[in-house]
Amino acid sequence: MIYRLDAVAAQYPSRRGVVTSLADVSLDIAAGERVAVIGPSGAGKTTLFRLLNGTLRPTRGALRFHDRDVATLVPREARAMRRRIGTIHQQSLLVPSLTVLENTLCGALGSWSLLHALRTAISPARADVERAMRAIEQVGLIDKRDARADELSGGQQQRVAIARLVMQDPEVILADEPFAALDPALTDSVAALLLGLTAAGRTLVCTLHDVELALARFPRVIALRGGRVAFDRRGDAVSSAALDELYRGERAGAHDAAPARSRESAIGP
Amino acid sequence: MTLPRRDHVSPRSGRSRAARRRSIRARLRLALFAAAGFAAVIGSAWVAEVRLSALLDPASHARVGELVRGLFPADLSPAFLRVVALAAARTVAIAAIGTVLSVVVALPLGILGTATLFRTGPLVAGDPATPGRRLLAWLSAAARGVLGLLRAVPDLVWAMGFVVGVGLGPVPGVGALAVSYGGVLGRVFADLFEDVDPRPLEALRTTGASRAQIFVFGIWPQALPGVVAYTLYSFECCVRAAAVLGLVGAGGIGYEIALSMRQFEYGEIVTLVGALVALMWLTEAASTALRRVLRANAPPGVLAHRRIHPGASTRRPRTPVLGVVAVVATAATMAAGWAYRDVFDASTATGLARFAVGLFPPDLSPGYLRALLGPIGQTLGISVIGTLIGIVLGGLLGIAATAPHPEDDRVRGAAALVRHVLRRACRVALALLRAIPDLLWVLVCILAVGLGPFAGTLALGAHTAGVLGKLYADTFEEVSPLPLRGLRSTGASPLQILVWGAWPEARRMLVSYTVLRWEMNLRASTVVGLAGGGGIGIELYNSLQLGFYPRVATLTLVVGLLVAATGAIGDAIRRRLGSASSLDH
Repeated sequence: MIYRLDAVAAQYPSRRGVVTSLADVSLDIAAGERVAVIGPSGAGKTTLFRLLNGTLRPTRGALRFHDRDVATLVPREARAMRRRIGTIHQQSLLVPSLTVLENTLCGALGSWSLLHALRTAISPARADVERAMRAIEQVGLIDKRDARADELSGGQQQRVAIARLVMQDPEVILADEPFAALDPALTDSVAALLLGLTAAGRTLVCTLHDVELALARFPRVIALRGGRVAFDRRGDAVSSAALDELYRGERAGAHDAAPARSRESAIGP
Repeated sequence: MTLPRRDHVSPRSGRSRAARRRSIRARLRLALFAAAGFAAVIGSAWVAEVRLSALLDPASHARVGELVRGLFPADLSPAFLRVVALAAARTVAIAAIGTVLSVVVALPLGILGTATLFRTGPLVAGDPATPGRRLLAWLSAAARGVLGLLRAVPDLVWAMGFVVGVGLGPVPGVGALAVSYGGVLGRVFADLFEDVDPRPLEALRTTGASRAQIFVFGIWPQALPGVVAYTLYSFECCVRAAAVLGLVGAGGIGYEIALSMRQFEYGEIVTLVGALVALMWLTEAASTALRRVLRANAPPGVLAHRRIHPGASTRRPRTPVLGVVAVVATAATMAAGWAYRDVFDASTATGLARFAVGLFPPDLSPGYLRALLGPIGQTLGISVIGTLIGIVLGGLLGIAATAPHPEDDRVRGAAALVRHVLRRACRVALALLRAIPDLLWVLVCILAVGLGPFAGTLALGAHTAGVLGKLYADTFEEVSPLPLRGLRSTGASPLQILVWGAWPEARRMLVSYTVLRWEMNLRASTVVGLAGGGGIGIELYNSLQLGFYPRVATLTLVVGLLVAATGAIGDAIRRRLGSASSLDH
């Protein structure tokens, strides 16, 4: 198992009291799986992602990555874990003043020493540049390699983010709403790119707003609601009744879909 | 005017009771605020020993007249011009080397002081607080504190400290610039690093990049334009400061001015001050030009590899201006270090060490602290009244110096010429007021009104007027012309346009500049005291001269606290005046 979550809860303090974004989640993800995570907004999808990519730690319960409890990782090990997990965000989040090539090179930072990174900032090694160029070629932006990231369109930026992911060469790809900012034509090409990356045996976990896309392309669908797993089954086994139940309230425009809050230390009444 | 709310409208006033209560409370607050400000001004004027009669005294007019007459003709003999040129070159060299060293001080402290790297935020979240991490977080907070300390002590005080350590000459000047501007730049750098877009940094973190790597590839490229701009601006400030440091024996133009002053060679002073004004103007022009070149040459990626891959696009030719400047400046610094290597011998270290050890423990005896209350009040008073003089004088000159938007300049013929000449004259007057350092103004003001806090106050006011007037004029000129045109078309007079059109637009900037200047003036008013302008500066000067180092430590602490306190008061004023529009109550 790559991931093993055992009764994981995640809470964080906010001005309105303690917000529980994940209440009790237990699930396993095996190597090579393609998993879609769906659910109404506020269900805890993004928090689950931050747990999975090691930028957040569970408040309760245990999260194991390759059978190692992440709570026991020292910072160096946490960094090594993050290196093996590639993340694609809703917006591409490139460094705006760096070129496409430089942003792509950044993908390999996790496997470089600080010295090598400094050297790259001044004059990168030929082998690194060639690898980065291949990644840029793969996403079809080779003629934009010297453009600054902030000169690119949203779709182009998302493709650079994928090139950076190729450069990172992770075991697991986490994609948080990768198509949210893209139009339908781009969605198809970016989805093909992402799924193509998993052909080499990589694991893909992807949150999706678009349920049709999730059911069509992903063998396994995990639904979250109110910080808990609503269902976890094969894509073709998801009934429309289950979906109606999952999105109840949100589609009707009621307030049920708000994040579950517990007011354990609420300030004021 | 508060718009009447539709609910609970009382028939008599047309306003809701709640709105009326709110407005009464707001007026009360405003009145309290005004009363406090008025009391502060009166108190300040009293402790700063403002004597308007001294300004009207014929004897003081005669003394100043004598000085002004003595200034001409200026000494333009070739031999003296050579001295001036050499002094100017030395001032620039001190400033340049001081700037390089201040960056050397500022960068490590600024990086360490960046809270988003070591203390809070998404780059730190999710990792356990190991002892190493906790130590780094503590060091990061400490670095901020050190930067604050370096900043709080005026550069002139640093210079005098270094003079104690290494003796007279350019070296203490360079050291003082490096330390005090290192404190300023370090704070600015840390703020710049904290203010970059954090989302790309998080994305880099998820690739497994370490925090050092995130800094190199995520923070530095985003912050670089700001870092360069502020460093160049800091160089401008260093040239001015280097000239002032000369007055206490650090060499350069200031030193020559002090010499000529002591020998009553007023003709030489005119030449030297003229050279100083020209130098300031040249520095500003050069740094503006350099900034423009850098903008035009902005490389597509800031990591800027000339040929990163075969067939790299040569669309934009890149001149490595920044690199050349950095290399030349560093080389000059190293050469200077070599030239002055004999200054740094074993006695330097022991001298500085003895000075540092002598500072402890600070003299905190109740008697001494009580004796300090008077000078502290005086210093505060000097800064308040000096700033007020600057606001009034600078405001008048600044408004007169404001050029209308070119498209709106409808006046033609002789009237236009008169206006143009008047504007230029005001600009030149502001430039003169600004270029002459406050420490030099003190010497003039002492001639006019005698030794004491009033001389320092006037001096501070003169320099502040020059600085604020230019900022005011620049701000008014940058106000968007469209609303002003609208007002003009309703038949508003120029004064009405200023009050109803330009002021609301420019208010936030003006308040912020003025408050910032007051904070700087508080620091300056301790320095002005050194030259006999009263306040805490005289205490400091005497304690340093007499070797009462524990008292020097106490005074330094007091200055630091005062500066911190003004910072807090300044923030409050900025919030109060900067947010609520003062036209609507």
